[in-house]
Parts: sequence; structure tokens; C-alpha cells
Amino acid sequence: MIQVNNLSFSYTKQPFISGMSFSVSHGEIFGFLGPSGAGKSTLQKILIGMITAYQGSAMVNGVECKKRTKDFYEDIGVDFEFSTMYEKLTAKENLQFFSSLYEKKSRSIEELLEMVGLDRDGDKRVSDYSKGMKSRLNFIKALLHDPLLLCLDEPTSGLDPTNSRMMKDMILAEKAKGKTILLTTHNMQDAAELCDRVAFIVGGKICALDSPHSLIMSKGAAAVTYTWLENGEHSANCPIDRISSDERLKGLISENRLQSIHSGEPTLNDIFMDITGRTLV
Amino acid sequence: MKPILSSFLQMLKSVKRDRMLVAACVAPLLVGIAIKYAIPFMEEILIAQTNRREILRPYYGLFDIFFSMITSAMFCFAAAMVLLEEHDDHIESYCSITPLGKTGYLISRIFLPAFAAFLMTGILLPIFHLTPLPPAMTFFFSLTGNLQGVIIALLVVTLSTNKLEGMAVTKIASVTILGALVPYFLPEPLQYTLAFLPSFWVGKSVCDQKLIYMLPAILETAIWILILLKRFRRKMP
Repeated sequence: MIQVNNLSFSYTKQPFISGMSFSVSHGEIFGFLGPSGAGKSTLQKILIGMITAYQGSAMVNGVECKKRTKDFYEDIGVDFEFSTMYEKLTAKENLQFFSSLYEKKSRSIEELLEMVGLDRDGDKRVSDYSKGMKSRLNFIKALLHDPLLLCLDEPTSGLDPTNSRMMKDMILAEKAKGKTILLTTHNMQDAAELCDRVAFIVGGKICALDSPHSLIMSKGAAAVTYTWLENGEHSANCPIDRISSDERLKGLISENRLQSIHSGEPTLNDIFMDITGRTLV
Repeated sequence: MKPILSSFLQMLKSVKRDRMLVAACVAPLLVGIAIKYAIPFMEEILIAQTNRREILRPYYGLFDIFFSMITSAMFCFAAAMVLLEEHDDHIESYCSITPLGKTGYLISRIFLPAFAAFLMTGILLPIFHLTPLPPAMTFFFSLTGNLQGVIIALLVVTLSTNKLEGMAVTKIASVTILGALVPYFLPEPLQYTLAFLPSFWVGKSVCDQKLIYMLPAILETAIWILILLKRFRRKMP
């Protein structure tokens, strides 16, 4: 679906994106992770044809992005982080207008509104919507023309846990339909939960690219941390695959002297910190 | 073509919702009635009071020029205001990544309103003109007036970032139509200092009764539009 080879771009004389290469398969959720100003949004703008003055190659659905025609957009749906709606129009009026810009038959506006729990607010002006409602409306606008590729920029930003869950379930439902999804985020939990593969982007370069699970496992397995009392409280760690050889832990268990024990594994954020020396949260 | 028409219709709906913009679109009709009836009436009163043979009559051509520009200026002003409001709502960013694209968006927001103004001027000018206007002159008046409106719209959307700034810039941009006065009131060669304004050549064409001056007017307008269009496209996300 997406083939990027040796991609470089610069806003000034300094390179902003340099030598990026990666590919995204059909039906994959691919995440761009990185701090603000890392180049994630610029990369997304290149892939959706908003920036064309790049070097190298960026092919989406078989089309070089800088040579896109209007048909290119029949199969791309974009959900920007900010609202892109007429504030003075109702949600339905907005969706009707944007669906009229495509040649393809539109999905049912009523059904889409119902999917995100806005069916009762369809006739309300967008200016009266809360931030979360606008995010949900923005998201279904990207689905109107049933595109093959969805580009989502911080889709759960500003949503409460319930709506965030709803949004993530909808993203997974689109993936189940065979859609390819590009997710730009700095939310590691979302990325770990949703993405098949993620690319860590820092300073306009890809520092690591793999599945969240492989990235986590590459930095060592989960560990057990336990505490006990012996002239004060002590604690120790033990890799989970070496528990049977930890004599102290075995002794504490047999003597029922453990104060606490819990297992933990590195998070994607830990891996990000290890690789890039920076944190996102 | 479908996305462009949809986008144009959406703009008309936006204009319909805003009373100020509706008034701007109706204004040419009121101005036309004022020019057709109020100016000759004022001329009669002034002649009667001053005992001069004519006062306003030598400038009737100038009134025709301004009327030819006002329809387009008002239509393009309305379009520019819609465009600025859409800029605030990030609509232009979104439209540029739909089949409408940047070019389609510009056509629906600048060139279709200008074409509508061209047709409207072609209808209203033969009704409200004060000087004898052969069809060729009506055509050139409509065309140059229309292109002048495009210049004003592009100046507004290029130099301002919101509706409030847009209204201020409209006042400044409208000064560009005053070039038509220059050939009437400034002697040669001094008048050529303002020859960079397309409206100067339209005024000169009417003042000197030479249609050939419409050519530099059209050429200059094309250069203005190309430069402004380039700057506006750079400003677009």
C-alpha cells in the first residue's frame, strides 16, 4: 500500500526528514511515534500529497505522492488532529457537503453518526459540540467515502476513557474490514494496543521499526520484583525466565516471608527511551 | 466537475447565511439604480444652480467604469469573506486533500464567483449605463471589471488571515480601482506613474475613446492575478 524509499525533505536549508525508507502492507495498522517536531506530521503530509517538494520516493496505492491526481484522494481518508468542520453548520450538513466532494457513493451518514454516539446530535451546529464530539465527528468524516487508506493524527487526543475506547474499537473494526491505517501519535499505550508495527521517529529519522511486541521483547523479558523484611525492607529483581534459579526468592516463598511480589514488563515508552534517549510521556 | 460545483454551491449557502454578504451581492443593483437615475438628476440640479452647460456629464464614462467594476468587486468580496471564514475553520486544508484539491477549491471560491459577476455585469451594464455603449465596449467593461474583482479578492485573501482583517484589507484593495480616475484628472506624462494599475488603462480607454487601451489593462491584470495567485497558493496549507 505504501512504499517509501530514501525520502528526504526540508523546510529550510537544514534537513528535516532524511533518508527514510519503509513500507506498509494492505490491512496493516502502522504507527508513527515520536515527540513533537520529530517529523511525524510532515511525513503524513507528504504521504497525503500536501507536501510535494520532497526528494526520494513516496508511493501510496501505486501513485507517487508528488504526482497525485484528484483520483488519488478517492481512496484516502484523513483525520486531522484539529477540527476541519464548518462551525456554523450542523454535523449532518457538514457530512453531506464533504461526501459530495467524492465520486464514490457515500456511506450512510445516519449510521456513521450512530457508530460514534452522535445520532442525537446530528442536527446540532458543530460550534455547540464539545472537543470530544468534534474529534468523533472528524473521525467519521474520514470514513465517509469508505477509503482504502486512513491517516489518523492523534485520534484519541482529548477523549475521555469511554470515548477513547470507542474510537480504538472503531479503528480496529476498520482494520478488520481490510483498511490500511496510518496512526500518528505520541500515545504509547494506543500504539502498543492498535499498531501491527510502529516506527520511532526522532529528528526526522526512523530510529527503530518493528512490531510493539518485538520491540519490547528485544530489550529483555519481563521481570519479577519482590520485597521482604530483614532489618528493614529490602527488594530485589529477577528475570521471569530465571525464577526457578533464584535461591533467595525460593527461600522467602518457602518461609512465607515475602512482603510483596509483582511482575512487570518494559513498556513501549521504556523501549523508546532506551533507543532514542528521550521520553514521550 | 462535480466537486467544484458542490463547493461553489456550498459557498452560495454560506453567503446566504450572512446578511452582510447578501447585502454586498445586492448592492450592484442599488448602485446601478442610483447611477442611472440619481446622477442625471443631480446634473440637472447642478446645471440649474450654476448656469453651466455641463458639470457631471463629462465624467459619465467614469461612472460606467466604476459600475462595471462594482458587481465583480462585491461578488469577489463576498467570496473572499467566505474563504477567510473557511480558513478559520481549516476547511481549505481539508478540501485540498479531497478530489476537489487546491485548484478546484480556488476555482470554486474565486473564478466561478468572478464568472458569475462577469455575466451579471453583462446584464446590468446595458441597463444602467450613462454613455452609449457598443457591445464590444460592454464586453471589455465586463471583462476588465471582472478581472479587477479577482485582483481585489486575491489581495484580500493573500494579505489577511481572518474576516476582520479581510474587511480592512478590502478597503485598501479597493483603492486599486481608483486608477480609472487618473487619466481624467492628471496630465500626461505624470499620469503614467500610476500606469501599473489595470484600472488606469480602463480609464484611459474611455477618456481617450480608444479601445486599444483595454489590451494593456487585460495584460496587467493577468500579471497581477498570476503573482497574487502564486502567493496565495504558497499561503494555502
